[in-house]
Amino acid sequence: MNVSLTWGRVLHEPAPRAEWERLTQDDPFEGRAIEAVRRGDAGSYDYLVSKYSKRVVSIAWGIVRNAHDAEDLAQEAFVKAFQNIGRFKEGEPFGPWIYRIVTNLALDVVKHRSRFRHEELTDVQPAARRDDAELGAVTSELATRIDQAIESLPENQRVVARFYLVEQFDHAEIASMMGLSEGTVRSHLSLARKKLKEQLADLYGASDD
Amino acid sequence: MTDDKFFERLRDDARPLRYEGDDFLATRIAARVREQIARPQTVAQLLVAWMRPLAASVAALLLTVTLGLTWTQRHQEPTDSLTSNPIEIAMAGETFGVD
Repeated sequence: MNVSLTWGRVLHEPAPRAEWERLTQDDPFEGRAIEAVRRGDAGSYDYLVSKYSKRVVSIAWGIVRNAHDAEDLAQEAFVKAFQNIGRFKEGEPFGPWIYRIVTNLALDVVKHRSRFRHEELTDVQPAARRDDAELGAVTSELATRIDQAIESLPENQRVVARFYLVEQFDHAEIASMMGLSEGTVRSHLSLARKKLKEQLADLYGASDD
Repeated sequence: MTDDKFFERLRDDARPLRYEGDDFLATRIAARVREQIARPQTVAQLLVAWMRPLAASVAALLLTVTLGLTWTQRHQEPTDSLTSNPIEIAMAGETFGVD
């Protein structure tokens, strides 16, 4: 049975799939939960929220860098997905969809914030303090240095680098989540890599040998 | 170290930076979402949902009528001005009108 399933996948989906996408498609409960929600059983939505909430909050936090905002955004994303579940394509994994929704919401917040910061400079300091406090959970000095280096990158490079390095998404997944082409994602990553290598030269060595 | 190798190692080292939240994060989010999707819509929200497409249709209709009237008026103006303001020429005490 397992063999035929594996061969079926190989024949029908020759392109390599990302690990998380494969996992979501291999979860029979997920498909059933989506179907139940579409039929009007709101209680089944709990399964999807419980399964994805940690990752969704982490994605939002990586962009907005504030735990309270990240949780609000995760909630908003799940509610939005629930209200639009009728538009969700049958058989597709739920993960990429909810990740895309929360990414868009979080990017909107950052855009709004950067516009606002130009006008009200006093808001910058409390925000920065909150970020530092949340980083306190990260005990490793190496991780802290990496985090600071990623945060120093320009906005698009920062988000792409965080998705690639921290959230471990691949190029295609990042492109889909941010509405960019894969080429643009690769270009942002290439620029980010160059800057990160310079900034972390004392940790990783700068020579090309 | 090559760029690729550097990025590979960096990717391994950056993994712990993923935000985990506290032990109750998933439960908290699930409860908040459940509460929000179970909450019935307020009268105001229902009205907004019904009125928004209606308002958009009325606005589109008004715009079409305004544009149509403006266009019609512009194209009628030369004839109107000729008929309402007949040309009069006065010469040697006599007045001649041109219709």
